[in-house]
Order: sequence, then structure tokens, then C-alpha cells
Amino acid sequence: MMLRIMSVEFLKLRRKLVWLLVLLGPLGVVALQAVNFGLRYDYLTKQYADDLWGGLIDNVSMLMLPTLFIGLTILASMTAGIDHQMNTWKQTLALPVNRASIFAGKFAVTAILLLCSSTLLVPFTLLLGFLLDFGFEELPLADLAMTVYYPFLAIMPFIALQVWLSVAMHNQALPLTVGIIGMIAGMFASQFPDWMPWKWPSLINDRDMPLYSVGAGLTLGLIVMLLGMCQFVRKDVR
Amino acid sequence: MTTNKETILETSGLTKKLGGKPVVKDVNLRIGRGDIYGFLGPNGAGKTTTIRMLLGLAKPTRGSIRIFGKDISKDRLAILRSVGSLVEYPSYYGHLNAIENLEAVRRLLTVPKNRIDEVLSVVRLTKDAKRPVKGYSLGMKQRLGIATALLGNPELLVLDEPTNGLDPAGILEIRELIKSLPKSHGVTILISSHLLSEIEQMATRVGIIAKGSLIYEDRIEKLRERSQGHIHLGVSEPEEAWKLLSASGVKASLVEGKLTVAEKNNAAIAAIVARLVGERHQVYRVEEEKVSLESIFLDMTGVEGSL
Repeated sequence: MMLRIMSVEFLKLRRKLVWLLVLLGPLGVVALQAVNFGLRYDYLTKQYADDLWGGLIDNVSMLMLPTLFIGLTILASMTAGIDHQMNTWKQTLALPVNRASIFAGKFAVTAILLLCSSTLLVPFTLLLGFLLDFGFEELPLADLAMTVYYPFLAIMPFIALQVWLSVAMHNQALPLTVGIIGMIAGMFASQFPDWMPWKWPSLINDRDMPLYSVGAGLTLGLIVMLLGMCQFVRKDVR
Repeated sequence: MTTNKETILETSGLTKKLGGKPVVKDVNLRIGRGDIYGFLGPNGAGKTTTIRMLLGLAKPTRGSIRIFGKDISKDRLAILRSVGSLVEYPSYYGHLNAIENLEAVRRLLTVPKNRIDEVLSVVRLTKDAKRPVKGYSLGMKQRLGIATALLGNPELLVLDEPTNGLDPAGILEIRELIKSLPKSHGVTILISSHLLSEIEQMATRVGIIAKGSLIYEDRIEKLRERSQGHIHLGVSEPEEAWKLLSASGVKASLVEGKLTVAEKNNAAIAAIVARLVGERHQVYRVEEEKVSLESIFLDMTGVEGSL
């Protein structure tokens, strides 16, 4: 059932340029870093002399976080918006499909799109590293994967929240506003206390254990997703 | 007679309150197999709210709904498997073409792929199937909506105002399509409208709802009987003529100088006229005045119900 719902969701996204967006996010991040490293090549290579790849990955990660926040907001709004546009909710929900799976489908599609976007960051970063002549010997694959996938997992509460808001409201202005505020909050997150979810995607915590942030993100993400699901199952369709 | 038919849909005491105000009050519907049930009422009478509840889109505040003998609050998915619906204005994904739109629904219904071609030809959209739906005319979108409703081979088809906003040719087209369905596909249809003229040409039974209450439910013929007319007679001396007719046992009435007889069959009218002429009355006119179904409908629903 879930698979069928997901296949329908992807069918509905055809010709919506959503894949272009998925591509543009990581491309933008790496392009900006290309400019950064291109303009200050000598300065930056001296600063990161003992770990060129590490320096690049740190810089990419810095831009990746706000991009994740805004990206998930837009993706959630787009996947929900398709059904708001001509109010196709009433058609879908009058089909023999259970409502919880429909909601789970919207969540899963948004998460998968964001995951694709995050994954693209890996080859793009490697390509930039090659172009900057950082060498092929010690490819920092493990480091890069951690930098890309840990924040993706830690940001789950926000994916769940945005999917919930975007699905619940016909007018997408509020969900988008909440998402943008989230992005701004995320930029100052390193100064927040550890219990603030905005801080989790940065993987910074007092114990210096990135996995704590990931675990917290996954747990709260699941809770928010279930809350949204409960509300969606109960509400009357207009 | 419908009463002998198997009941497909039955509601009892169906009530829905929105913000404390009852929008649907104690509605008891009964639809038999093979009926085309016309669900009539002015705008805002509670038709769409009732239909939303029948489809499980909204939960009733009170009362129960049984479709195919199952309770919708318990067996929603099993019921919806055999129900096709079109609720107020067609729902469609404008950026997709007709085939993709139907495919999105087909995957959730898990019916074979060739159903898409079948329903497209039923609503005659095969030629335009590959164009994005946003470029369709309203009539075509409405037909696509009906095709979507037919996709799962439903036993019960629920159509909420399917001719809303269509031009006369479009209305005729949809009407012919709907009339042909019970014959060719054996489905039962619930169709709502605020226009009696539209329903009376296809429905076998009607239910009329006004201000949230079901005020009439019977076969369409019963409603038609009410619309039988009266014969007016234009005569030189109405008063005398009335006395004469009353004296000879003809039921006649005189209101503001207008003579009206209740008789309707041709022979009786001929006899009355012969009688009047025989008594040297001058008969100017013999006219039939039909009470239209519309005015009966208006009487029932109240003019302030705004049509």
C-alpha cells in the first residue's frame, strides 16, 4: 500500500520541476564554495594546509544547513500544494486508502526528495575538490557521508513539522514563514542550548557526540510525524 | 416498486453540526439498487455536507450511515472500494494529462490498466487524453471527473452537482451519460442538484432537502402527480356558470371571477363546455394551467431559500 501511494506521489510531481529544485540545492552550495575557494585559493589552502579536504567539507557543511532548512520547507510545500491546488484531497480521501498512509506518503516523499538532494552533495563536493586539485589519494568519503547524512537525519523534526503544516493548511504562506524562520534560527543554532531542535542538524553538543544529535532528531521527528498523522486522520475534508 | 429493491444506502438520524449550528438535521435517506436518486435542495441546504459524510470525508455529529449493508464508521475502506464519487467541482491535477490523472487514481484502486481506456471512451475523452487537463473546458473536466468516478467499477456512484457551471449542451451530454449508466453498467446513482428541471429528466426517485432537513422523499412520479394542472374556463357570466355547474354536480370553484374545474379528462371537459353552451353561456376560453414542478419545489423549500 505504502509503495503504491508513493508511486502516485511521484507521478503527481511530474513536470513540476521538483527534481530541478532537488538538483539546484546542492549545486548552489557547491557553486558558492567554488567561488569562495576560487577567489581566496591561496589564503584558504594555506589555512587548511594540513587537511585540504576537511576544510572544504567544513565550508560546504556551513552552507548546507540553511539550504537544508529552506529546501525541506519548499519541498514539503510543493508535495502538499499539488493536492491543495485543485483540492484533490476530497478525491484521494474518498478512495479506499487509509488516511494515515496518505500522510505517511507525503512525509516519505518529502524526506526522499531531500535525501536525493543531500546525496548529490557528495559527488558535487568531490568534483570541486578534484577541480581545486586537492588530490585523489585520501578521498574523505566517510567524513563526507557523515557531514551529509547525519544532519539529514537530525533535521527530521522539521521535515515532519513542515509536512504537517503544509498538508493541514490550504494557504502555504504560514508554513513557508515558519520554514524561513526555522532557517534563520538554524543559522544561529550553535549558540542555542543543546535541547533546542534547531541546533541538532549542526551536530554540535556539549558531549561532542554527533550521534546524540542524530538520535534526538530521529526521535522527535517520529513524534511530530505521528502527531501530524493523528490530526490528519481526524479532520474533516473540505 | 423501489420498496422491494435491495437497499444500497441508508442513513438514519444523520446530523452534522458545524460550529454548533446544525447544517444537516436528522436526515433519513434510502436508496435502492438501480435507482437514480435525485438529491435536491437550494444552495446551502446541506447537500454537499451530507454527501461528504456519505463518502467518509466528514464525520457525522450524530446518526449512522449504512452502505451495502455495512456501517461507514467501521468498514469505510471496504465501502469506498465500490463507490465512485465526484464532489462539487471536478478534482484534477492540471499539469497532468487525462491518462496520468486516471493513473494516479488507478494505482490506489488497483484495477487493471485497460480500465483507463475504457472509462475514457465512456466519457468520450480518448481523443484529448494526452493533453494537460488545465487546458480542458469545464465540460471536459467534468467528464474526466465522471471517468475517475467510474474507474473502480463502482456499484454506487455519488455525483455532487455534476452539471454545475456547464452550458446547455454540456448539461445534456452529462445527463445522457448518467441516464445510460444504470442500464449499461448496472450502477446505482446518487446525484445532487439545486435545479429540479435537471433532475426530473433522469431521476427515478427524489429526495428534497431544505435547511438541513429532508422534507420529501418519493418516486419522481409522485412528485409529477402533484404538478397536474387545472382547467380554467373563460365565460361571459362566471357567477351564473359556476352555480349551474355546481348544481349539476361538477366540482368547480370561482376565485376572483375565474372559473376553475377540477376535471381533467377530455370527455368530462367536453360535456361541461356543451352544458354551458346549451345554457347560452358564451365560452371564450378553455385553458389548462399546469403547476410546474419548479413551483412545487419552491413551495417546499421556501423562496427565501434562494435558488
